[in-house]
Amino acid sequence: MLNRRDALRGLALTVGAAATGWAGTAAATTALSWTPTALTPEQAQILDVVSELIIPATDTPGARAAGVPQFIDRAMANYCEKWQIDQLTAGFARMDADAKAAHGKLFVALAPEQQVAILNVYDRETAASTSGHFFPLLEDFVTVGYFTSEPGATMALKYDPVPGAYNGCVPLAEIGRAWATR
Amino acid sequence: MANLNGRARRKNTYDAIVVGSGITGGIAAKELTEKGLKVLVLERGPMVRHLEDYPTATLDPWQTKYPQGQLPQAELAAHYPVQRRTGYTMTEHTQHFFVRDDEHPYTEENRFDWIRGYHVGGRSLTWGRQSYRHSPIDFEANAREGIAVDWPIRYEDLAPWYDHVERFIGVSGQAEGLPHFPDGQYQPPMELNCVEKAFKARSEARFPERRVTIGRTAHLTDPTEEQLSLGRTKCQYRNLCIRGCPFGAYYSSNSGGLIAAERTGNLVIRPNSIVTELIHDERKGRASGVRILDAETLKDEEFHADVIFLCASALNSAWIMMNSTSSRFPNGFGNASDQLGRNVMDHHLGVGASGEAPEFADTYFSGRRPNGIYVPRFRNLGDAATKRSDYLRGFGYQGGAGRATWERDRGKGGRGFGAARKAELSQPGAWTMGLGGFGEMLPYADNRVTLNRDVKDKFGLPTLTMNVTMRDNEMAMRRDMQSAAAEMLEAAGFKNVRGHDNGFAPGLGIHEMGTARMGRDPKTSVLNAHNQVHECKNVYVTDGAAMTSASCVNPSLTYMALTARAADHAVRARKRGEL
Repeated sequence: MLNRRDALRGLALTVGAAATGWAGTAAATTALSWTPTALTPEQAQILDVVSELIIPATDTPGARAAGVPQFIDRAMANYCEKWQIDQLTAGFARMDADAKAAHGKLFVALAPEQQVAILNVYDRETAASTSGHFFPLLEDFVTVGYFTSEPGATMALKYDPVPGAYNGCVPLAEIGRAWATR
Repeated sequence: MANLNGRARRKNTYDAIVVGSGITGGIAAKELTEKGLKVLVLERGPMVRHLEDYPTATLDPWQTKYPQGQLPQAELAAHYPVQRRTGYTMTEHTQHFFVRDDEHPYTEENRFDWIRGYHVGGRSLTWGRQSYRHSPIDFEANAREGIAVDWPIRYEDLAPWYDHVERFIGVSGQAEGLPHFPDGQYQPPMELNCVEKAFKARSEARFPERRVTIGRTAHLTDPTEEQLSLGRTKCQYRNLCIRGCPFGAYYSSNSGGLIAAERTGNLVIRPNSIVTELIHDERKGRASGVRILDAETLKDEEFHADVIFLCASALNSAWIMMNSTSSRFPNGFGNASDQLGRNVMDHHLGVGASGEAPEFADTYFSGRRPNGIYVPRFRNLGDAATKRSDYLRGFGYQGGAGRATWERDRGKGGRGFGAARKAELSQPGAWTMGLGGFGEMLPYADNRVTLNRDVKDKFGLPTLTMNVTMRDNEMAMRRDMQSAAAEMLEAAGFKNVRGHDNGFAPGLGIHEMGTARMGRDPKTSVLNAHNQVHECKNVYVTDGAAMTSASCVNPSLTYMALTARAADHAVRARKRGEL
């Protein structure tokens, strides 16, 4: 069985990226439009990129437009437990370390395909065992943040604050999407 | 000085005092004021006014301080170690309607999940609203089986009062014509969804004695003139009831009984008034009033009345009586029987089964129905076919079908991410149907609460010690509750049927009962057939404390019916000069 580093090395070859040394900048990302509270600017940049990879813009807004990175930064500032903060920040560090090991650049400086390939490794790792892995935790925060955001609840899902009536049996095609609230 | 005292006394004198403003206090206030009595309602917690004091009722999912309104673990652990045990009560949206456990401690000799809300309206704001009548067999069971003591009343005594209360509060439901599951005065039933309809048809084909019906719930579906005149209107299917309903669609004391009482001009509500004891007038041989501790000024004060209704909830009414000692009542008020604080009951739950219905994948629902299905008791109905040899009494199921939300597989990982996963979670997940049992707990004399003068609450008042456990009868019933539920789902063709028993500690049913039971004999019970304290006729106890046995159905409707009946009795007795 391949260990994580071997997996990443193989992956680096697959996507054809050479290990060209430490890139050291976040040149590929846009500047944040918000100021993080709990996160460092560098961590916030990774969160911004990874949130959008987990829930991208499609025919509906993605995590970035829904303010998910701000949601998670806020959660880390006033809600998360220490172990969660530690796990998330260790996760961000690992993303950079793995990106550097595979491609010689920070995570945010990689091409989207390279970023996705790294996240796929994490997702596969968590399929067997979730205990202690940062990725399911991060993914859960992104998912919660997104589907409880106004764009997520009202555009990706369907939201009706005051239904007024209950119809117990309707063709799903008529509703189209899942209800945002139960 | 004598004159001043006389004036002070008159100022603090009413025809009736109602202690507590929850599900029974609200009905007591309504009935007594409408019959012309000047009534003081004393509530230990702060004011909650209908509409004005529902701060979270209209918040959208994105308007929360914390993710999904979930409170941080540290705050839950520090302030709500008991209240959090339900898993649903302690959120940013609801915390103002529940007590802080660190301010209201009690001692658990055995685990007891005491879920409480101290404010005007009490738990009538946060109750589950399922409203069923106790049946003839419930009132006869103790006598027939030689358990505890006999109820001093029968179903027929309460039936007209069930009618009366149902018409006032508004209950929607389906009449079923079952003798052990009496029908009532119902507004149109809420609809079953497609999976529930299929479950009903298929399960009833195999088990015709296990009727599947829509829950009978205190939500308006076709409001009456009286309900509209109180400012209540029909259910809007938001399913945010626990935050307080701005439509007054479900019954609460705040939107119903207290408003009706206020309308008479005969009501005074005094919040922040912790009733600490009943005052007994030795000379007259009756209670002359109550003593309170003002929760804001921390001063004691006395209020006087001819009639006193204890509606403080089963354990708190018992607490007040246990704390009311005098030379006449050295062991607690009206406690010659030594039954005060004993026979604590609840409904045991957390056991049942669930299954999936994949064949309905292209169907869905609209609206959020604040109600589920109900399966009335089908065991030990008095005939050979339903007789169980392994336990007494029975249980009902509550449950329903729904589709998994975007929250499915939360935190599991390995499900992929990106556009495909986003699209997947934007569609509803599997249809799942669940059945959860609500079982009758027998009254055991040594399932009791006692007054603890060593542990004090934040006001320096004594607290309760809980010693209540589940026994063999309940445990045997639970095994049947699990297997019979799985059996029904399997008979209905559901897939991946799984039984569960998550365990249960008394209290979590939030149906505390039996601490001052009704009975025929003052030697073995605290209250008589009219809910009067045997030994002090002008004190009525009409909350869950009065229950002689528990039945398996949700009890609030019975408390309300007993309260209305007792209020009628009190007004007549007072007119006759008996109180």
